[in-house]
Amino acid sequence: MAIVNRAEGRAYLTPLVGFLLFFLGFPAAVNLVYSISTVSFETLRSPSLSGFGNYAAVLADREFWGAVSFSMRFGVLTAVAECLIGLFLAVFLTPLLAKRSYLMAPLMLPLMVAPAMIGLMYRLVLHEFAGPVPYYLFEWFGDSPAFLDVENAFRTLLVVEILQWTPFAFLLFYMAYAAIPLEVREAASLDGASALKALWWIELPLMLPTLVIAFFIRFIDGFRVFDNVYALTGSGAGGSTTSLSIYIYQAFFKGGAIGKAVAASVVLFLASLAVLYGLNWITGRGRR
Amino acid sequence: MKLNRTSFSAAAVLLASVALPGISHATVTVLGWPGGSEETALRATVEAYNAQSGIADADKVELLFFNRDGFFDKLQADMAAGSNAFDVNLVATYSVGRYAPYMEPVDLGADAGKVFGESVLKTMQFDGKQYGVPTDLSLHFMYYRKDLVDALMQDNAAKKKYAEIAKEHLGKDLQPKDPDSWTWDDWAATTLYFSKQVNSESPVRYGTVLQMKNLLFNMMVFQSLPRSYGADWMDKDGNVTVDSDAYRTGLELYKKLYDAGASPKDSLSYEYAETNAAYGAGQAATALQWNAAAADLTNAEKTPAVAAVTGIVAPPAGPNGRADHIHGLGLGLNKNAKNKEGAVKFLKWLATEDAALLYARSRGSPALAPDVAAKVSKERPDLVKLGEFASQYGYVMNGATSANALSIYELQAKEFTGYWAGQQSLEDALAHTKTGMQDLLKK
Repeated sequence: MAIVNRAEGRAYLTPLVGFLLFFLGFPAAVNLVYSISTVSFETLRSPSLSGFGNYAAVLADREFWGAVSFSMRFGVLTAVAECLIGLFLAVFLTPLLAKRSYLMAPLMLPLMVAPAMIGLMYRLVLHEFAGPVPYYLFEWFGDSPAFLDVENAFRTLLVVEILQWTPFAFLLFYMAYAAIPLEVREAASLDGASALKALWWIELPLMLPTLVIAFFIRFIDGFRVFDNVYALTGSGAGGSTTSLSIYIYQAFFKGGAIGKAVAASVVLFLASLAVLYGLNWITGRGRR
Repeated sequence: MKLNRTSFSAAAVLLASVALPGISHATVTVLGWPGGSEETALRATVEAYNAQSGIADADKVELLFFNRDGFFDKLQADMAAGSNAFDVNLVATYSVGRYAPYMEPVDLGADAGKVFGESVLKTMQFDGKQYGVPTDLSLHFMYYRKDLVDALMQDNAAKKKYAEIAKEHLGKDLQPKDPDSWTWDDWAATTLYFSKQVNSESPVRYGTVLQMKNLLFNMMVFQSLPRSYGADWMDKDGNVTVDSDAYRTGLELYKKLYDAGASPKDSLSYEYAETNAAYGAGQAATALQWNAAAADLTNAEKTPAVAAVTGIVAPPAGPNGRADHIHGLGLGLNKNAKNKEGAVKFLKWLATEDAALLYARSRGSPALAPDVAAKVSKERPDLVKLGEFASQYGYVMNGATSANALSIYELQAKEFTGYWAGQQSLEDALAHTKTGMQDLLKK
């Protein structure tokens, strides 16, 4: 039996739909208009429609595809690493955290720092003359890698992102792992399953929806990364660390190509939507 | 319930007071250049202005700063949107053309010319109209370690090694020279000599600190090198000339020094702050850096490792003599200012001799007329050098005050850093820059 009938359901949903239409729908509509217009800072209030030229310009721009490539590699690698490390920490730290819950606070600390601040912090930490990391590497080994030169910048950015956001994945996995019913584990144990087998055949399948959601959130966040990358390397030598968000920012503000920037952001939105549906399909399949 | 209502009201009042400060004070809001000596000087000057007896409460000045990173982009967005959040805004020589449509010209009075000189006032002019008070002049100094260079000049074995390095890496017969008479080749040979990777006996790790991050301001630092070989953005007929031999020579020299290890490996991520840190750590023999750094690099409290042994000269010479990029920072009137009268009153005061001297004594870098600069020469000897270098070697590239000048610097930054990092050839970098500049200069 339904708790509410259709009419009541619509009535309950109306404020939310109205809110979304006003606060999200209106800006989205304006952006769609900009994406098919010739527009500059001077003509923001009077754009002239010009068809799909902005989309064509974006899709024909080699820098756009360079940014897509950077974002894709960055998003996938950080999401995979954060999920794997987060899962490892969740499985191995759960018994400890059950007894000493106060340890959770320091584990969550990186999440409290603004990404741009993390970027600035690592600019100092990794500076050859001002930073402690190169200082000790010089002390101990007589040399230090250049963390932000063109060869190492991508790896450094990955590590910085993973250090900041692994706690987020860990938090989700910790909650999911702790929520697995005790009797399931006991039954597996009585049947002679080793801890590793129980993890692989019982616990991970039960955690699958959380794993997928965590991966999706971290991938999207990594894919549209901006703050710490921009603070650490700008857009990189020759544009080598230009993410899609940085590309959009530069096209919008620095290039004044507002229509092109908005068209690129619409493409980014559609790509994110495709990933969302793909992952939704995977989790749905898992449940069936 | 009563408690909830009271709490709610208190929270609303608190939020309103935080979010709407402008409602309760009708003041002049000045948006300044954040960070560094410019902010320090402006704060001190505004404090003195507000303390004057003739300034009404409604005309007192409040300061507003946002982050330096992306400052000009945010400013453009604000001004294009018709923002009246500030009455007076920052303007620079290279952005006058970009912001002039959103600003109003200001008459600074006849005495402004006597304080700054007409050529300096021109750094804030567009289409013949004055758009701001020139508060700071920026150019570049070659900072060098006097102790290291002196030791090199007095040691015959070191001189021999120097000559060998110059021959091997630059293909030229060179001998150590006094930095004030350096050519770019002399500087290059010196930086190579003082680099551990080239000369394991060097007392410091690097010969110089190159600012090679993909950042528009770094292009301003770099351009004095090709300029001294005769480079310009455009010729008299408006043709873009960035693919000249002069640019090739400059770009190749930077790459040669970076590849040889004369500058830190992380130089491709270095800008103003990183350069100061590297030079200030005592591990670099030279640094081509903004004049604004002089106050810190020669201050024993701030930079104890090198302050006492740091010398300052103009950038080295090329075949066309010495060249030193100059631009002015200043303050002008926002077209949508809420308190235009108060803002103009403040700007006129800022252009007086008393205000300019106060600004100079508060660590600012105004370009003052010689007789005015003489009044602060003891406290600020670097201002004397500033005026001297600006008048003798200062230049502005042909097209560098156009509406898209900032975008041109950004384009160069992207393409040139791509070459320095080995991601594209010199020919590709110059070809892309030329095509992009042709588009930008047409707009």
